[in-house]
Amino acid sequence: MAEKKGWLDAISDLAGGAMPSAVRDLQTEIADRVRKIPTHLNEFGFDAFGMHPETASSQMLTAALAYRYYFRVETFGIEKIPSGGVLLISNHAGQLPFDGMMLAVSMLLEGEPPRLVRGMGEYFIPQLPFMSWAAERGGNLVGTRENCIALLEAGECVMVFPEGVRGMNKTFDRRYKLQRFGQGFLRLALQAGTPIVPIGIVGSEEQNPGLANLESLGKLLGMPAFPITATFPLLGPLGMLPLPVKYRIHFGEPLHFEGKSTDEDEVVQRKVDRVRAAIDDLLAEGRAQREGVFR
Amino acid sequence: MEKVLITGIAGGQGRLLASRLMANFTVCGVDWAPWHGAPKDMSVYSLDLRKRKFEDVIRTERPDAIVHLGMIRHFKGDPKRRHDVNVRGTKQMLDHSVEYGVKKVVVVSSGYVYGAFPENPFYLDEEQPLSASRSYPEIRDLVEVDSLAGAFLWKYPHIRTAVLRPVNVLGANVSAMIANYLRRERVPTVLGFDPMMQFLHEADMTEAIAQALEQGLQGVFNVVGPGQVPLHTAIRETGGRATPILEPLFRPAIRMLFGAGVVPWPPGALDFLKFPVTLSGKRFAEATGFQPLFGLAETFASLREGRS
Repeated sequence: MAEKKGWLDAISDLAGGAMPSAVRDLQTEIADRVRKIPTHLNEFGFDAFGMHPETASSQMLTAALAYRYYFRVETFGIEKIPSGGVLLISNHAGQLPFDGMMLAVSMLLEGEPPRLVRGMGEYFIPQLPFMSWAAERGGNLVGTRENCIALLEAGECVMVFPEGVRGMNKTFDRRYKLQRFGQGFLRLALQAGTPIVPIGIVGSEEQNPGLANLESLGKLLGMPAFPITATFPLLGPLGMLPLPVKYRIHFGEPLHFEGKSTDEDEVVQRKVDRVRAAIDDLLAEGRAQREGVFR
Repeated sequence: MEKVLITGIAGGQGRLLASRLMANFTVCGVDWAPWHGAPKDMSVYSLDLRKRKFEDVIRTERPDAIVHLGMIRHFKGDPKRRHDVNVRGTKQMLDHSVEYGVKKVVVVSSGYVYGAFPENPFYLDEEQPLSASRSYPEIRDLVEVDSLAGAFLWKYPHIRTAVLRPVNVLGANVSAMIANYLRRERVPTVLGFDPMMQFLHEADMTEAIAQALEQGLQGVFNVVGPGQVPLHTAIRETGGRATPILEPLFRPAIRMLFGAGVVPWPPGALDFLKFPVTLSGKRFAEATGFQPLFGLAETFASLREGRS
């Protein structure tokens, strides 16, 4: 059926024509990779969780540009990712979650087969106009226990940052010092019977050095944190932009755990500590290998 | 041959079910509205479920099984009457089932009883709380009906009772609220929201009820169709045109228009256009082997054919 094109389409066509060929090539590459994601789609092109590959592709473009040309991401050991349901666990830093975006792009562009990383979002996202469906079409869901288990059981790849906000808004003096890990992710892995891949992301922790975190002011403003960095709030929202650090993503060996999701805290904590130690090792390895923060 | 009594037999779903069951059951039925042109050998009584005559029919017909479809699911009339018909009507049906030795009961509840909330998991199973009335008090009667049937299920284990919670049913014959909504030329939606929605063809719904009855199913079951698409895709595929409206305008407008009796949609229904209520149909599929025959495209087409 031929659809009448509106002025918005006309503008996007024009913009498409004016786009540098590198961008268009990347767009094609993403679309090709997204087509190879091992996820079943229904007759209207949606997966069982509301993900829509074409929409996900277009959302990926900006992040993929940053991946190639800004953070110049390098990955190590991505072939260790097992097929089927898997939990990706990594360090979390840098004021804004560029680490999550870069990890997702790496899995799409360099994973074999390409995987679409599923993010577990905050509860308020479904209440935001446009964000609500954009997040879902991109493969993300609200971070409930049920959603995480359902995704893992469906053979999807779920990304969790056990440090949470504690990690994302840590101050510069604590860079690469892993903050307290919650236990939730490990109980989920036990319940779904899926392996955990520990990941160390090097670079993100220097992208926007935090000087302080005014948590109580953040709470007052309804935000999870209120970081003070060299550029924020001095330069306003622009001050949240990251430095062009070089990202190195180190993938560890998959860890398989035996046990029940209802086990005692101490029993689960020992397993959590193993994951944490594995990430610590990956971070140390990555920092030893690199020649500088920007190279 | 077993005898089955269908409440709400003159409605779209009731007629479909009556025709489906005729081969294997002696079918009779009751409804508020008469069914002109009902099959000759089928006894159809026109009555109010809350009145004495309903009990008289059960006493004389002595059905082995009852399928309870006889509920008001729209908001065109008096809300107090709707509540009373649905809740007290169901209560009477359950009481009479015990008194007159009915062996199987199938209650057709609704997937809406879980309620539409941002924190809903993507797949709601049968153990989820029935919270619909928190944001949608107008359908608390459906929640009460479901709870009554659930309590009945535990209290009378010798009666095979199945409570079915289907997703949105579409077809040329049924006139559920969602079908009437999608049948509009211009379909209002909430700007910036496009929840995933599940649909089931009316013929598959008929089959699901028939299987629950024939297999003497016991328990509470979600009934899910071939899958889900975003609301706007459903609107396009059923031949309508979506008209997104800013929520701060939409909600007060609906409140006003509903209050004035212009539109049959309570303001609480708006949340179902914002947040997903997508169900897991695993339990029913495993218990019965049920698989929908109609795909999504055919299900949408069935509604388009119903347009004229």
